[in-house]
Amino acid sequence: MKSTFQVSKIILFAIVVALAIFPFVSDSRTWTILLTQIFIFSILAMSYDILLGYTGIVSFGHAMFFGMGAYATAIMLDRFEPTIGIFVLSIAVGMCIAGIISFLVGLLTLRLKSHFFAMLTMAVSGLFLVLAEKWRTLTFGNDGFTFKAPEIFKDRMMYYLLVLGCLVLVYLLLRRFVDSPLGRVLIAVRENEQRTKSLGFQTLHYKVIASVVAGVIASLAGSLYAVSLRFVNTSVLTMDITLDALLMTIIGGVGTLIGPIIGAGVIELAQHYLSGLAKEHPIFERWIIFFGIVYILAVIFFPKGIVGTVKHLFWKRKNPIKIAISSKRKGIAK
Amino acid sequence: MELLINLLINGLATGMLIFLLAAGLTLIFGLMDVLNFAHGGLFAWGAFSGVWFYGVTNSFTLAILGAILTGVILGFITEKLIITPVYGNHVQQILITLGFMIVLSEMLKVVFGPNQLAAKTPPLLSGSWEIGDVIIIKYRLFIIIIGFIVFGVFQFILKRTKIGLVVRAGVMNKEMVQALGINIKQVFLYVFMAGAGLAALSGVLMAPYSGVIYAEMGMEFAILAFIVVVIGGMGSFPGSLLAAILVGLAGSFMAYYVPALSLAVNMMLMAIVLIFRPQGLFTAKG
Repeated sequence: MKSTFQVSKIILFAIVVALAIFPFVSDSRTWTILLTQIFIFSILAMSYDILLGYTGIVSFGHAMFFGMGAYATAIMLDRFEPTIGIFVLSIAVGMCIAGIISFLVGLLTLRLKSHFFAMLTMAVSGLFLVLAEKWRTLTFGNDGFTFKAPEIFKDRMMYYLLVLGCLVLVYLLLRRFVDSPLGRVLIAVRENEQRTKSLGFQTLHYKVIASVVAGVIASLAGSLYAVSLRFVNTSVLTMDITLDALLMTIIGGVGTLIGPIIGAGVIELAQHYLSGLAKEHPIFERWIIFFGIVYILAVIFFPKGIVGTVKHLFWKRKNPIKIAISSKRKGIAK
Repeated sequence: MELLINLLINGLATGMLIFLLAAGLTLIFGLMDVLNFAHGGLFAWGAFSGVWFYGVTNSFTLAILGAILTGVILGFITEKLIITPVYGNHVQQILITLGFMIVLSEMLKVVFGPNQLAAKTPPLLSGSWEIGDVIIIKYRLFIIIIGFIVFGVFQFILKRTKIGLVVRAGVMNKEMVQALGINIKQVFLYVFMAGAGLAALSGVLMAPYSGVIYAEMGMEFAILAFIVVVIGGMGSFPGSLLAAILVGLAGSFMAYYVPALSLAVNMMLMAIVLIFRPQGLFTAKG
């Protein structure tokens, strides 16, 4: 196991270096923008994976944290000067708001069973959407508003590098987080909440921590997203954002961190190409239908997603006995 | 006074539409322990197919029957393809029914086009009565009557027939029902199809009420139906009627008196109920 671990680390490092050099080699604007989008959604999907993949709770309100970050940055850059300092400050403000809100919402709702939690998060997120639509003096509602990004980000390449840096940083932080003792407890909650409770862990506290971490990271993704578009409207708070994060996490592989990144890449690229195919046949305008079907098939047949399935195959080849035991255990758990 | 009566009728009519949607949802949840996030998709399919049938046959009765048929067939497909593989796993159920919701609403756009369609009120039901100063719109009254009829019929089936007995017993303890030699899976399927049919009925009645129909209406109404199911108590049929009327009335009165809060009031109602009485106002037992 140890050697493959090292190899995968080296491969990851090589990919990051390749991505960092990419804008210096190629001057394709489309690709720079597309990759920036992928990185931002990777951050969002990873944060969602902390909830879905590691703690085993389904939230339908993740878009509200994304939207908080987006609005915090957009409003502050618009009202004050568009400088780097304000940009960093606005990210911090967005994260703080998201942290506080996710703490309060989590404390109230995480006691409930999965169904109720899913619905209540949907409702709270709906409240924030309504708030943003109505509070027009601040948000300009559905019309949204444009704002100036800091001077240095006029260069798309600089922004690309910044987002890539954020992605790597968030990945490392979250990897550290899920490998920590605290992260292990979250996995225990996912596997069997009753048993974790009986071992003496106050599972509610751990679930709230997971939801705060996920909310804060989602807010960062939102801030980066707003600056990448230099425009914000209420679409950042809609269910579609949550659905995107959900699709990316499920298709890429839940509970892996790398999975959501790959999922984000697959979905953004496929979206790019499939909507390009719309000229050939109008069905491609409804490209999301393919994802819906792939997603349903993934939930039924590949609940582990791309990364999980690949890992599973590799592991099976190396440790046929271990896998037999683990699948037997799963049978009992059912 | 006439304002009060108008608001009351508006609220009741909206409440009835939500009730039809929530009734299926609450029975499916109570019996099968499945929260069907695709329910709104069945509702939207009911609305679109109803408008299509009305355009083809020019008969509102046939449109309603056609929509219900569409709903029941879709319900059959949903249960067999989507729900059966993931019985017992809550997280997977939530995920998969939400995925099916996406497919259903995108399929709507493929079949009927991405634009919103206009829905006409049938001539017999359009117009209104004037009693003194009070104007009663016929169609709204029609919805309210249909709602009460459906409630009566289902209440009769649940309380007075064999299948109703099995369903009620299943809500209370499905393992025991199975142990007594009843094929509960078959009952699940029937209840799911009935719930889907009710959702489609709600959709087709909704179409002339709102005037326009669009694919996203499924999700918007499904959220209201979820709220109703939570407030009324999961699995409680009368509870969902009362909660639906409550939500409908709250919506119509708030929209008039405090319009800024009209969209938020239902969510607040649900949040309050969930925090202080998580099992809902009514419980399924008894």
